[in-house]
Amino acid sequence: MKILDIAFKDMLRSFRSMFALVFMFGIPLLMTGMFYVMFGNIASSGFNLPKTKVIIANLDEGGPRFQVSAKNIPGGKQARTMGELVVNVLQSKEMADLIQVSLAPSAESAHAAVDGQAAQVAIVIPADFSKKFADPDKQAVIEFYQDPTLTIGPSIIRSILNRFMDGMAGVKIAINVFMDEAPESDYYLTGDIIQRYLDISLVQTEDLAGTLLDEQAPTATPPSSQTSGSSASHSQTSQNMLLRIVGPIMGGMMVFYAFFTGTSTAQSILKEEEERTLPRLFTTPTPQAVILTGKFLSVFLTVLVQVVVLLLAGRLIFRIQWGALMSVTLAAAGIILTASSFGIFINSMLKSTKQGGAVFGGVLTMTGMLGMISIFAMNSPSAARLGNTVSLLVPQGWAIRGLLQAMNGAPVVDVGLTTLVMLVLSAAFFVIGVWRFNKRYA
Amino acid sequence: MNSEQTMNTNHIAIQVTNLHRAFGEIKAVQGVSFDVQPGEIFGLLGPNGAGKTTTISMLATLLRPDEGDAFVMGHSIRRDPMAVKSVLGVVPQEIALYEDLSARENLTFWGKMYGLRGARLRQRVNEVLELIGLSDRANGRVGTFSGGMKRRVNIGVALLHKPQVIYMDEPTAGIDPQSRRNILDSVVSLKNQGMTVLYTTHYMEEAQELCNHIAIMDHGRVIACGTHEELVRLVGEQTRIDLTLNVEAGRVLETWRAAEGVSRVSTENGQITVLVEDSNAVLPRLFEAATRLSARITSVDIREPNLEAVFLHLTGRALRD
Repeated sequence: MKILDIAFKDMLRSFRSMFALVFMFGIPLLMTGMFYVMFGNIASSGFNLPKTKVIIANLDEGGPRFQVSAKNIPGGKQARTMGELVVNVLQSKEMADLIQVSLAPSAESAHAAVDGQAAQVAIVIPADFSKKFADPDKQAVIEFYQDPTLTIGPSIIRSILNRFMDGMAGVKIAINVFMDEAPESDYYLTGDIIQRYLDISLVQTEDLAGTLLDEQAPTATPPSSQTSGSSASHSQTSQNMLLRIVGPIMGGMMVFYAFFTGTSTAQSILKEEEERTLPRLFTTPTPQAVILTGKFLSVFLTVLVQVVVLLLAGRLIFRIQWGALMSVTLAAAGIILTASSFGIFINSMLKSTKQGGAVFGGVLTMTGMLGMISIFAMNSPSAARLGNTVSLLVPQGWAIRGLLQAMNGAPVVDVGLTTLVMLVLSAAFFVIGVWRFNKRYA
Repeated sequence: MNSEQTMNTNHIAIQVTNLHRAFGEIKAVQGVSFDVQPGEIFGLLGPNGAGKTTTISMLATLLRPDEGDAFVMGHSIRRDPMAVKSVLGVVPQEIALYEDLSARENLTFWGKMYGLRGARLRQRVNEVLELIGLSDRANGRVGTFSGGMKRRVNIGVALLHKPQVIYMDEPTAGIDPQSRRNILDSVVSLKNQGMTVLYTTHYMEEAQELCNHIAIMDHGRVIACGTHEELVRLVGEQTRIDLTLNVEAGRVLETWRAAEGVSRVSTENGQITVLVEDSNAVLPRLFEAATRLSARITSVDIREPNLEAVFLHLTGRALRD
């Protein structure tokens, strides 16, 4: 009972502190809100990412004859060449919300349009694009020319093109395998093979824009409402893009400030020592273990309240989809345990609250930023791998990993494994922290 | 052995036997022993650094003695600290309260720590608020209180569970005279209610006014212990005369030391202190001797025997040094 009395007393003190409230709830929500407003209009239901102006110079002269059926091309067009297929895909209805496509007669005029800021991206499909695509020894390449001052719009186009080209590369591999394995007498079937694999590939990437956007927006509302083919609405896909940015940021902020809360709440042990209330507590008929357990419990409960409130606020204010209940519960439990035990551990290393300033400014900021690298690097495939590795060097990285896994709909087992790592870290931090505090007050 | 010790100490509220405590090379307490009778106010008097707070910290089980033991209401501070804590109320030297909680919230929390619950807790909180005169400010945050009000809450916390023994460690340090008066009155009131009070102070006047028995501490040792009268008798009931001269004291001191009725002469920072049996008889001789040596006495302060004189007598230093 006394454990709860001590814990509730500490929580009462924490939640009465305007400074603590601002750090626990105000700043994470404010930061997320800033990003939300930066990338969208919170007042309206739609997030209007400006359309990217793309100019395409399709110089493709064609290659082996193939015909892609209209039903398999977004936009319902037929394509006689690979270049035409690219143009059709980018001109599809699903892309219209994001891309405004115009055609240029030559590469020079396309470049000139970007240089003159009439377009943001120029795509030049070379004359031998289809031929090279059909040639197993050659690589079909599209030239991508962009306004270097822009990032988001061109990166979306690049992402779509990459995905499309990856799909086409798969088709090409299939053809190569056919050419290697099939007898020469069957070579006349090549056109049909191309057609068939293109069909399969395009069917698989039906509603290419919607699929891409959906994959890139895991924080959005459930996929079933997204992948309804051509019905995907502009506001919905825009909202997905917004949440794709805001969701991980909110998660990162939550983890970052949960660790701050864990450390600052655990600092109440040192603060009480300096205020002489801790020695006074030791003069009451209350065992030291009960006093310290009450203090530790308050740290845990305070972080628990913070994380739950931020999860709910993120859902209600920013409509962030944190993931399946079980996954997000596991991830949140990991965050709460790691943040609170890390706070106890850090404070057990301190001699006084005066040292706390350096810890807050240094250790927590450094480890917090390292942990968030995985979020910063998320949109850059080359940096993401390094970012993920580096971030796992600190407990915040594991906390963010668990949360992102839940948000990305990873299997519960995967989230559970990450949570298990956090539990091990928590146990280590807690045991060391408790041992040091017990030794200190023995 | 234990039962024998408990039996022996049953009629003594606090029995302290040969307590030692060192902090590294510094021997803070060296063989302190004294007994405190139930229902009395026992004073630990001494200058800052004398070892009073270390002694009281050991008696409150906050510090473990290196050597020796003490029994509080028959419970050993070494073997049964939890029992000691349950009969004890401690008023620490510093204000030890939660400034962001109200007076009532503070008292309620501390009451719970002493094991009070429910209606009994609410009743005691109200009684203590009444006792310390803060019923009308019960819901005010302690951080907004004056120093004196905080001191009163600080004392109130120790009274919640109606302890048999209260330790008060310099409870009047740094407060205004009115609050000080209130606290001294409340200490007497506690004694009248039958509580045993162990009171540490470096204010000689407080010890003189409040305490039935006083232990004078210096450099971690008890250098004298007894009632006020017994301690004063140590200096032979001598009167202390503080004087200043308009010239260098040198030869005047020699003459005064030799004067009839003078038992001791010392000087410090230009002030001469003379201990005498009868100031009425000796003072004219001091004036006469000074005049003979062409010195003029520029101030005279006569003090009847008190604890200050005892401390001076025992240590050669003033208590406030």
